[in-house]
Amino acid sequence: MEIKVGLGTCGISAGGDLVYKALKKTVREKNLDIPVKETGCMGMCYEEVLVEVVNEKESFLYAKVTADRVERIVDQHIVNKRPVEEWIVRSNTLSLQEDFFNKQNRIVLRNCGVIDPTSIEEYIDRDGYQAVQQIIEELTPDEVITMVMNSGLRGRGGGGFPTGLKWKFARESEGDKKYIICNADEGDPGAFMDRSVLEGDPHAVLEGMMIAAYAIGSDEAYVYVRAEYPLAIKRLRLAIEQCEKKRFLGEGIFGSDLDFRIKIKEGAGAFVCGEETALIASIEGKRGVPRLRPPFPAVKGLWGKPTNINNVETYANIPWIIRNGADQYAALGTKKSKGTKVFALAGKIARSGLAEVPMGITINEIVYEIGGGVKEGREFKAVQMGGPSGGCIPASMGDLKIDYDEITQTGAIMGSGGLIVLDNTTCMVDLAKFFLNFTQNESCGKCTFCRIGTKRMLEILERITAGEGKEHDIELLEELAQKIKNSSLCGLGQTAPNPVLTTIKYFREEYEAHIHEKRCPAHSCAALLTYSIIPEKCTGCTLCAIKCPVNCISGEKKELHTIDQEACIKCGQCYDVCKFEAVEKY
Amino acid sequence: MDMGIIKVTINGQQITTESGKTILEVIHDHKIDRIPTLCHDKRIEPDTSCFICVVEVEGIQKLIPSCSTMIQDNMVIYTNNERVRSSRKTALELLFSNHYADCIGPCIDNCPAHVDAQGYIALISARKYRDAIRLVKENNPLPLSIGRICVRDCEAACRRAIVDQPVGINYLKRYIADLEGENKWTPALKEKKNQKVAVIGGGPGGLTCAYYLILEGYEVTIFEKLPELGGMLRYGIPEYRLPKKILDAEINWITGLGIKVQTGVEFGKQISIKSLQDAGFNALFIAVGAHRASKMRVEGENDTEGVIPGIDFLREVILKGVPAIQGKVAIVGGGNTAIDAARTALRCGVDEVKIIYRRSRNEMPAHSEEIEAAQNEGVEINFLTLPKSIIRDGKTLKAIECLKMKLEDAGPGERPKPVPIPGSEFILDCDFLISAIGQQIESSSLTGEKDLKLESWGSVVVDQKTMETSIPGVFAGGDVVTGAYTAISAIAQGKQAACSIDDYLKNGQTGRGNGKYLSFKHYFGEIPSRELERITKSDRITMPEIPLAIRKKTFREVETGLTDEQSCIESERCLECGCSEYYDCALRKLADEFDLDISDYLGETRKYEVDTRHPFILLDPNKCINCGRCTRTCSEILKVASMGFVYRGFKAIVKPAMEKPLLDTNCISCGNCIDTCPTGAITEKFPFKVLGTLPKENRETICNFCSIGCKINYKVINDDIVYVSNSTEGIKDSHNKGYLCMKGRFGHRYLMNGNKVQSATIRKNGKPEQVDSDKAIDHAAKRIKEIVDQHGPQSVALFCSPKLPNEQLYLLQKFGRSGLGTNNIASIDTLVNETALIDLDDSLGITSSTVTMDDFQKADLLVVVNGDLSEENLIMELKIKEAQKNGTKLILINSSEIKLTKFADLWIDSRKGTNTVLMNAIIQQVIERNQYDETSIRSTVEGLEELKKMIAMFRKEEACDIAEIDEEKFDTLVDLLNNPSSNIIFIYNLDSRKEKTKNDLKAIGNYLLLTNRFSRRNNGLMLLRDYSNSAGHLDMGVDPDHLPGYVKFFEREEIKRIEQMWNTDLERVFLPTDIKKELMEGKIKAVLIFGEDPLACLDTARWFKNMEFLLVHDSFYTDTARRAEVVLPAPSFIEDRGTYTNCERRLQESIPVIYPNNMNEGWETISKLASCFNGGFGYESIKAIFSEMCTINRMYREGKPNSVLVNPVILGKFFTRNKKPNFAIIDYDLKTINPLKTSFSYSEMFFRKNIKSNLFH
Repeated sequence: MEIKVGLGTCGISAGGDLVYKALKKTVREKNLDIPVKETGCMGMCYEEVLVEVVNEKESFLYAKVTADRVERIVDQHIVNKRPVEEWIVRSNTLSLQEDFFNKQNRIVLRNCGVIDPTSIEEYIDRDGYQAVQQIIEELTPDEVITMVMNSGLRGRGGGGFPTGLKWKFARESEGDKKYIICNADEGDPGAFMDRSVLEGDPHAVLEGMMIAAYAIGSDEAYVYVRAEYPLAIKRLRLAIEQCEKKRFLGEGIFGSDLDFRIKIKEGAGAFVCGEETALIASIEGKRGVPRLRPPFPAVKGLWGKPTNINNVETYANIPWIIRNGADQYAALGTKKSKGTKVFALAGKIARSGLAEVPMGITINEIVYEIGGGVKEGREFKAVQMGGPSGGCIPASMGDLKIDYDEITQTGAIMGSGGLIVLDNTTCMVDLAKFFLNFTQNESCGKCTFCRIGTKRMLEILERITAGEGKEHDIELLEELAQKIKNSSLCGLGQTAPNPVLTTIKYFREEYEAHIHEKRCPAHSCAALLTYSIIPEKCTGCTLCAIKCPVNCISGEKKELHTIDQEACIKCGQCYDVCKFEAVEKY
Repeated sequence: MDMGIIKVTINGQQITTESGKTILEVIHDHKIDRIPTLCHDKRIEPDTSCFICVVEVEGIQKLIPSCSTMIQDNMVIYTNNERVRSSRKTALELLFSNHYADCIGPCIDNCPAHVDAQGYIALISARKYRDAIRLVKENNPLPLSIGRICVRDCEAACRRAIVDQPVGINYLKRYIADLEGENKWTPALKEKKNQKVAVIGGGPGGLTCAYYLILEGYEVTIFEKLPELGGMLRYGIPEYRLPKKILDAEINWITGLGIKVQTGVEFGKQISIKSLQDAGFNALFIAVGAHRASKMRVEGENDTEGVIPGIDFLREVILKGVPAIQGKVAIVGGGNTAIDAARTALRCGVDEVKIIYRRSRNEMPAHSEEIEAAQNEGVEINFLTLPKSIIRDGKTLKAIECLKMKLEDAGPGERPKPVPIPGSEFILDCDFLISAIGQQIESSSLTGEKDLKLESWGSVVVDQKTMETSIPGVFAGGDVVTGAYTAISAIAQGKQAACSIDDYLKNGQTGRGNGKYLSFKHYFGEIPSRELERITKSDRITMPEIPLAIRKKTFREVETGLTDEQSCIESERCLECGCSEYYDCALRKLADEFDLDISDYLGETRKYEVDTRHPFILLDPNKCINCGRCTRTCSEILKVASMGFVYRGFKAIVKPAMEKPLLDTNCISCGNCIDTCPTGAITEKFPFKVLGTLPKENRETICNFCSIGCKINYKVINDDIVYVSNSTEGIKDSHNKGYLCMKGRFGHRYLMNGNKVQSATIRKNGKPEQVDSDKAIDHAAKRIKEIVDQHGPQSVALFCSPKLPNEQLYLLQKFGRSGLGTNNIASIDTLVNETALIDLDDSLGITSSTVTMDDFQKADLLVVVNGDLSEENLIMELKIKEAQKNGTKLILINSSEIKLTKFADLWIDSRKGTNTVLMNAIIQQVIERNQYDETSIRSTVEGLEELKKMIAMFRKEEACDIAEIDEEKFDTLVDLLNNPSSNIIFIYNLDSRKEKTKNDLKAIGNYLLLTNRFSRRNNGLMLLRDYSNSAGHLDMGVDPDHLPGYVKFFEREEIKRIEQMWNTDLERVFLPTDIKKELMEGKIKAVLIFGEDPLACLDTARWFKNMEFLLVHDSFYTDTARRAEVVLPAPSFIEDRGTYTNCERRLQESIPVIYPNNMNEGWETISKLASCFNGGFGYESIKAIFSEMCTINRMYREGKPNSVLVNPVILGKFFTRNKKPNFAIIDYDLKTINPLKTSFSYSEMFFRKNIKSNLFH
């Protein structure tokens, strides 16, 4: 029997460290010979801290564990062998109403939340590093590439370029030196797939890189990981050290005559460095600024040498494909999008967390069946996919199948897997403004259209949400958006207008309401709100008048209060404090 | 990349081209379209940021940046369709929406006539008054009048007003106009045309139109109703503001250009449009003004005695003298006419003058200085007062009833509205009432013209751009169009009408290009106070006036004009808002092509302070468009990286590294960033004021600062103001690719304010006296002849600077040998350098480069010995860095660390003074390892055995010991050098004192001979020199040891050939001589120095103690010139012409950038002087000298300017005694000479003192 504590960043931020310490202490105090281990994110971030008690046959997952609950779990479950059923959310023996995992298929996340990421042995125990040894002994590089091509795996960083083909280009490029790069510069707001994989199963990524290195003929690799992921860096560094000790990395890896080294390069947090040419510039010590492709990195990459770049999730898929075969991978998904995809569910969704689903699943299935629907029973309005480069897909298109090409058709993109659920309190103009503000700040400032054009778009959105929209603003936004998309160097600029374009496409009437009627249909834009007191409901309790920071509410005690609309600053405090729902906003 | 042949379709045209090029290159190469770009500089890798160069490629959804996209087979490209143009336009609008900067000064923009105020102020500050008035007259032919009475829209817009007070722009204009006096600057009139133009109305509009038309050659007649020309200037402005004498002078100057004048002819009576057309006038300009006073709308104003319209009053005073006006005078109105009337009335001797104005002081439209003057003179102003009715006795005025008013807000942007206060009536006694509330057009004169379209209020309808009326060929302007308005506006319309009339008569139609887009700071809201706080406050100059007591009684002009000193002080107050790159800014030029409108994109704007901390370089980040050309040039070409981008997104901007002052980074002040910057974000900090919109001319010549002879482009303003700008397209193809070092870029500055020799002088009684050049030459000739008669020809010596062109050097040595009969010909520099300059003569017959800088590209190894290229020859360093990109390796041999060290693959830090030892040790290794073709060398080169003998002593161990380098390093060096298949070039600076030892060049020569590298391509020697013509200097025979073409004493046949051509007996002249010794011993009595300054240096000054006569030919009053008996003025290098031979033996032509007044070119002076001694110097032109020089000089026979002269050594020709190459046998005792203590060379001193010292203060 052993106890595992989810100690991904999600677990730690929910207090996992304290639970882990408490468990260790309690087990020690009670002289129990039970190992307490750490593991990565299990996906159910909404239930953190998660503690799993496993023995050979059974597994019990405790949710929302606090240090206070540790004593009882140990006493009742470990000592007295009676699981504390009311705290358990998942178990292979108990019948529980839990369907977070029902529609999932965990390939990338196969070890996350299962093994101890700090132990190479546990990874090896789960057939780790067998794939790489197998190919070195049995397959030629071309055969490996064919296998990856046959699997149908497409780049999980967002572009969706066929991975096998990318490898083939890098292999065919002439050069005495070639590089492998793992892009772990995950930067989309609300996306944390790569972080969880690096924290929960770093060896899978390393093994994927080794296979890629063998396939294209590289002996040196970089993992470009953002410095804001300290735990991921720590675990990755440890994993590399462990590999070097075992001669999986270094000279003559796995007893072959091949050399391979992996270095970590910490990114300083520039979003644009997720773009591959900017990332390369950053590794080279230059300002992280993209350059025109072609030449693609496969031809001219790091230090001008042929370079293969994939992201974390892509590499993590590779060992599984090698071991289970291309066909088995290709059996999952749709015609053009194979395998699974990890999504980070966030926003107004009941169960936020990490879910790995087979391609072809519908948006509604993810939102309702995995995510448990919208929080607090509000109305599901749209999903935002692909982060700042992506777009909004309205609820009416909920039956859309998750597939690279289907999603692109809508104006959104698959992206790296951020999936933000929006409800009827979200203003779509404001949402577009949020993402544009993000890209505007993260633009490297090189191209005219991205640097100034997105700024001007943002200013237009700002004036619309402030109630100062002008007659032809929507057309101006659309025109600028097209020009920015057409005339920017890298993906950041080319996709920056997407959130604006898709919200205009599906929610044009919201823009129009802001501009023509000076009204925010979602009651979200402060400048456009009107607060007033419903006479029938007001009891004259004076609370709103006391709270009002500008003293614009007047009325005698126990008499009807009124708001001076001229003076009101629309802070909404009256609305929040009224116990009788007598304040309405519209 | 495959260089296959591909087919593409561009704008429907099929093109066959090479692959491996960018779309932009192909389109430019085939001259299909001029695709604009801002971020691309063909000398650096494309970066793709501005997105101006986009094109549409069929099958690709996005637009494609053509500067960085490789062209591919079967591409179908559109370079200029609607979509492309629209994208470019938006890109420009976005860039301009964040371009917080002024293209031109707001003063120029706000002036209706767009007179370049900033330009003439700058010229005034440079004391170039005549140029200044010329500039004014380009748009305003009436500066004397306007300089006195203008409403000064320029000053209203002046930015200085935000700091303290606006610059007294109009005072300055008056100053330069007054200064002209009788001698007015007049432009050249074009050839007479057979077309007649009638100008109706002789006011400022009519006069202006007539002026610009007469310049174009038209026959112009002015028809004027009143007795004299001048319009309102004469009849509306009182004498004390604009004396009629002044106005007459100005009008007479204009009419004196050939304009016919008919006065007393009234339009609508004696003449009409038809009558004029019938009389043969091809075009008409109507400018009859607005002379009818507006009514007060008070009962009785028309028939009360004593009520006079203001404008009539003023006209009467002019026409008839002082009218019968007395007692108490009330004047209604608040404009300039009211003030004029009040002050005039006062001067007529009335008892009291009161002005009645219905608003307050703030709203008063009259000029505030005028109001003040009136008040000072005793005029009382009743503000907020309205005349209600006239109180009279019979028909005679007694008083007026007035109402008090209050002001009410009339909304934003509107003047407050005066509203009567009920019951506030009061009585104001007065004997005369002058109504001065405005003028109207005399519509009766126009209504007779049925086809002439008028506005309902009577003014003539015109096309605002062309001034054309509803009748073709009939134009109108001035008050008759605008209603009573300003003189400068009439002038503006007069000029515009003249342009349109010219257009109409030439092309039968009118219509000028639409207005350009210009950027102004005020488009972007308020100017941040921090920007203005930095400006030191200084009060506007006060216009001197005649004393108040006199003023009140006479009509004498009140303002007396600025003094010279005052005008200079005032001109210095100009903030120079307009951009110095007005003509060269690529961004602004593009704006002309698109009809830009930034209003949709106005939002947040970057507002930075201009960084003025660098002495030569001005950084204005507000103008930066983030193209990165400067940072890429700095980091990729120069490898300095002193600038880079900081911040992200909208805030991203180029700043010096770590946002430090540029000078505190590793900036080397080369200024190449200035030349690559497409806008005015990086500009030169001029030592003069920025000159508005004054056009600049490009003049390309060669740099005179070192032996690389870079192509350099001077910008010339007004034929005398000069600065360097290597930003022209063509110069990027030069051998230096347009790049310059600090010397070239900024070094010419001393020419602008140095102590120049203006005329010839002869010293009499210890004092130099200015004389005519010819007289000075005669005097010099006489003195030299005396000395030659007394002491013989060898008592004369000529010293000629290696900065002089070949023609002058050739002429000088010929003058010496054939004219004077002396062989004492050298340069001080040669003498200081002793024998090193001809160190290879014994081995090869000539000491000169055998490679060009282009050969570096194919070299495997470059070895730099003795020289600090970063300091001395930066452009060569760039060539090395460029070669390194292709894998060329660099070895440095020098004791101290220099900037280039960090780019070296191997640095041999041998002890100073041991390089000869080191080289000999290398040779010893070559021989010991037998890494040379002994058989072949033995048969081709003399002296192998002697070399072996000599070299035996240089064992590796001892050599390393002496040079203090470790043996391992030495081995690495030898391994690299002794690879026979490597291409190796040695780079050696002959003049640099840095690491030089006595025989190291000989040793390098031996190594190159031994390894047979002189005759192999991409191998050999690059000899760097300090002066621009050091190579030509030796080639021309300015050396006692050889004649032109390295002809030495033993070459009898060659000497004979030259003898015959010169018609001289050289046998008695061309003999070995030691000039330095003869100087010291006092044998040389007459010294003629051309462009050198030996007396500035104590070391050389002592050589000249014994001379009796000194002649100096120089551009500057050097220390030597100060001591000379005769000084002859020489043009400076940017004023002179001739050919130069650079370190690569590239023969290049230098042309004058500016032409000095009354000064002979260098060769002319020398010819004149020489002609006093011998007849062979009567050259017609410098070309004649060049062709004689090429015939005489065997190395220049094939010489063509801008081609590389081949070193005879490469062709296997050796001018040695045995006509073979010889190993130099160095008499060696392992002793080395001490390097000179100065760490920089002689030629650097001047530069350091004059230019570089600026960087450290």
